[in-house]
Amino acid sequence: MSAVVRALRPPLGVLPELPGAAYLLALLAAGFSLASPDFLSPRNLGNVGLQAAALIIVSLGMTLVILTEGIDLSLGAVLGLCGVVFSLLLVSQGSLPLALGAALLIGLAAGCANGGLVAYAGMPPFIVTLGVYGMAQSIAMVLTGGNSVTGLPESVRWFNEGVWLGVPVPILAMAALFALTWVLLYRTRFGRYVFAIGGNRRALELAGVPVRAWLVAIYAYAGLLAAAASFIMTARMNAAHPTIGIGLEFDAIAAVILGGTSFEKGRGGLWGTLVGALAVAVLRNGLNLIGLSTEWQVAVVGLVIVGAVALDALRGRT
Amino acid sequence: MKIASLLAVMAVASVAFSLPGDALAQGKPKIVVFTKNVTNPFWKAVRVGADKAGKELNADIEHAAPTKPDNIEEQTRLVEDWIVRKPAAMVFVPVDFKALVPTIQKVNKAGIPVVVFSNRMSDVDYVTYVGSDDETIGYEITKYLIASIGGKGKIVHIDGVPAAITAQLRKKGMERALKEHPQVELLASQPGNYRRLPAVQVFENLMQRFPQIDGVVCANDDMAVGVAEALAAAGRGSKTKVVGIDAIPDGVAAIVAGKMQASADYSGHDQGYLATVAAIRHLRGEKLPKEIALPVAIVEKGNAKPWTVPVEEKPTPDWKKVIDAQKKL
Amino acid sequence: MIAAVQRLPAEVLFVVFTRTAFVAALVVLLAVASPHFLTTDNMIIVLRQAALQFLMAAGLTLVVLTGGIDLSVGAILGLAACVAAALIANGLVVLGVLAALGVGLACGLVNGALVAWVGIPAFIATYGMLWVAHGLGYVFMKGEVIHGFPAGFRAIGAGFLGGIPVPVLVGAVLLLVLHVVLHFTRFGRALYAIGGNPVAARLTGIRTRRVLVGVYALSGVLAGFAALVVIARTNAADSGTGEELLLTAIAAVCLGGTSLFGGVGGIVGTAIGSLILALVVNGMNMLGIATLWQAFAMGAIVILAVLADVSFKRRSS
Repeated sequence: MSAVVRALRPPLGVLPELPGAAYLLALLAAGFSLASPDFLSPRNLGNVGLQAAALIIVSLGMTLVILTEGIDLSLGAVLGLCGVVFSLLLVSQGSLPLALGAALLIGLAAGCANGGLVAYAGMPPFIVTLGVYGMAQSIAMVLTGGNSVTGLPESVRWFNEGVWLGVPVPILAMAALFALTWVLLYRTRFGRYVFAIGGNRRALELAGVPVRAWLVAIYAYAGLLAAAASFIMTARMNAAHPTIGIGLEFDAIAAVILGGTSFEKGRGGLWGTLVGALAVAVLRNGLNLIGLSTEWQVAVVGLVIVGAVALDALRGRT
Repeated sequence: MKIASLLAVMAVASVAFSLPGDALAQGKPKIVVFTKNVTNPFWKAVRVGADKAGKELNADIEHAAPTKPDNIEEQTRLVEDWIVRKPAAMVFVPVDFKALVPTIQKVNKAGIPVVVFSNRMSDVDYVTYVGSDDETIGYEITKYLIASIGGKGKIVHIDGVPAAITAQLRKKGMERALKEHPQVELLASQPGNYRRLPAVQVFENLMQRFPQIDGVVCANDDMAVGVAEALAAAGRGSKTKVVGIDAIPDGVAAIVAGKMQASADYSGHDQGYLATVAAIRHLRGEKLPKEIALPVAIVEKGNAKPWTVPVEEKPTPDWKKVIDAQKKL
Repeated sequence: MIAAVQRLPAEVLFVVFTRTAFVAALVVLLAVASPHFLTTDNMIIVLRQAALQFLMAAGLTLVVLTGGIDLSVGAILGLAACVAAALIANGLVVLGVLAALGVGLACGLVNGALVAWVGIPAFIATYGMLWVAHGLGYVFMKGEVIHGFPAGFRAIGAGFLGGIPVPVLVGAVLLLVLHVVLHFTRFGRALYAIGGNPVAARLTGIRTRRVLVGVYALSGVLAGFAALVVIARTNAADSGTGEELLLTAIAAVCLGGTSLFGGVGGIVGTAIGSLILALVVNGMNMLGIATLWQAFAMGAIVILAVLADVSFKRRSS
């Protein structure tokens, strides 16, 4: 064990057993409330929740994938493609169920492609999903010529601005999908397999479980979640743009890692991801509110992510 | 025990984070100026112009640009976060003129006046639109190129980011000029995404495909300078004329050196200045024209001198002159 | 000679064979499809573009061999480019060159320290560095462009030596040097060992932490070096320089047969991968295929290449 880690472990052991993201979120929330009079305003907190909705939904799928020691770099591009397909169909055919169905199908297909190549061809998830990212991005760009798709019916805005039982639709969607994923992960065989594939895949195979098929299902689920997130994003912009989700996958990965899910040990969880995603959203929002210049914001985001993960590493959690 | 240590951490954080908060207005209106990114010098010129306006008319100017250049989702978040901060006015250019519509409508609903510049937007309320007319610019610069190659020949078009409204309008202007000159053939139109290296690589490949290219019209100077250099390196500089748009210092230097023929001025500095002045004057109750159009100026070797000045030292346009000119347009 | 070839593992032969065959097929296809493709001028352009891509991907190859990844190479290139440009535009060429390498070294050392000493996953550590390097670049440049370098310096990127573009010569020398390092030095062999089996590597006495810090530092230095060639080529630098080069660098590495799992591959593969990418882009421009399809082509080719490698490995084991 390196001398650095040995030296730092005792004082850090004082901190209770929460992922670094929890401390980060607490720190940021406290700090920004003091530094900005607007941070705690209901409007702003509502904003943060809405801004984080798409990220959280995508991060849920990412958590499952990372738990299997995989990674999915295509989720942002797939989100863009789903949004594009959704919008183009809605504008040309006018049928909401058709558009929704098609977009979900695209997400499912992309996920199956990812999972299929990873599970049945044994390819590294990084490369498979990177390749699918490129292809999904291209298809979306070609379909739109690189332009936004507009002319969507008013009904679409419900996905972002609608309110049901007093709660904004994106927050409801996020909560519902979180609950669904939680149940899947912690109360079903599917979830047990997710942990097992990450922890000890060989044992599972020897037990006769069709591991490869389940792996495909896991990536497919992530793809479906990306499609769901695309509806919210499209509604937010009242337009679909092929590049709308680019970069989201990296934020999702950061959220998952910050939340304590490890790339290598098949350990971690959904609550951590939620906290991690909120931490990322709060960080960005807070930096805007205190008026830190864009140039410094970029550097600060990197420092904070590395700092929080380093904290976990030093405590022996990664 | 666990809760106590968590609280301790929060307390330390609170002290550490006691940064100076939002500057009090002190009677000065706070105006936020949005730009598309912090990498392209065009937007830096916009910010310099806006700052000059703020200093001149005693307003507090703050800037907002996405950390990921031209990122739609991020600009959306920036606008939402700024609505919370309740600025006196917003000077705004959309990263995507369609996708930012709902968010600006939110700004309208919050009662914050908006001045749009450089990229037109529809379906939103704005005090005034300040900008050059991209279609006219594309038209004029292409006409200049066609004239400089003698009214006939083969040309290549290096486009900007295809989805950007500026690129689309400039391309439309180029096509209009081409229609008026049927003896000029458009060999190819490929995007360079407004960036130098991609434009150089695309153009190099096109140079191989087309041994004879009489002229190149580039959607901006960053690309045009790269193309001019590529031509010089291939020894084809004298046979091919290059024009660009923006009149950035690099481009003007190339024009003076003879590597490039001309560039259409698309003055970020002037746009930033005028848009900010418009916002401040609106806050003071002045009535403004719905549109403030900047004249198209073609910079060539003969008249390049004023454009060689660094943007900080550039003289600001005369507001009254510009407004009077609007009535004539 | 035959004996030396026979000693090479089957996987290496497979990679070299398939890639060379693919390059040959591409060249034939494009030569038939477009009369301007197989000209000397065009080949020179393709080689130069490939060389630039290779310089970017070289350091990344070494990192990937250890089973790691360096997402910050593009951002480090950008930061190094800006710092160097500021000095070189004012005539301080030597200082500028040293600055570029120094910036690359500093960033690389931080990456290495985070991965090897603190134990942060390489993905996150270098992702954080990506943001930090970009941010520092933005702060340094304040939205400006620096342009206009002395002709002597520009020759590195835009010049020719004996009819061959200088970047191609530089790339060839780098290829040779790194190949020797990988196969004939302890450091190089340690990289393969760590990538293949980190625990076993440590047990055989390899100071894994030191080697890892070293390889990330080297990746950083090479990114700084690539920065010099890029700005010499374009005669300008701004804070966006290098941003678009990361994903194609990863593609070049994977196309070349270097496995992301670590322990397999090499620098020659990356050179071939870079060549393939340059041919594809050039070919698409030649045939007038819209640029929008380029990402698709690259994604598909990379998947196919890695699929072939993985399938072959399975069949032969």
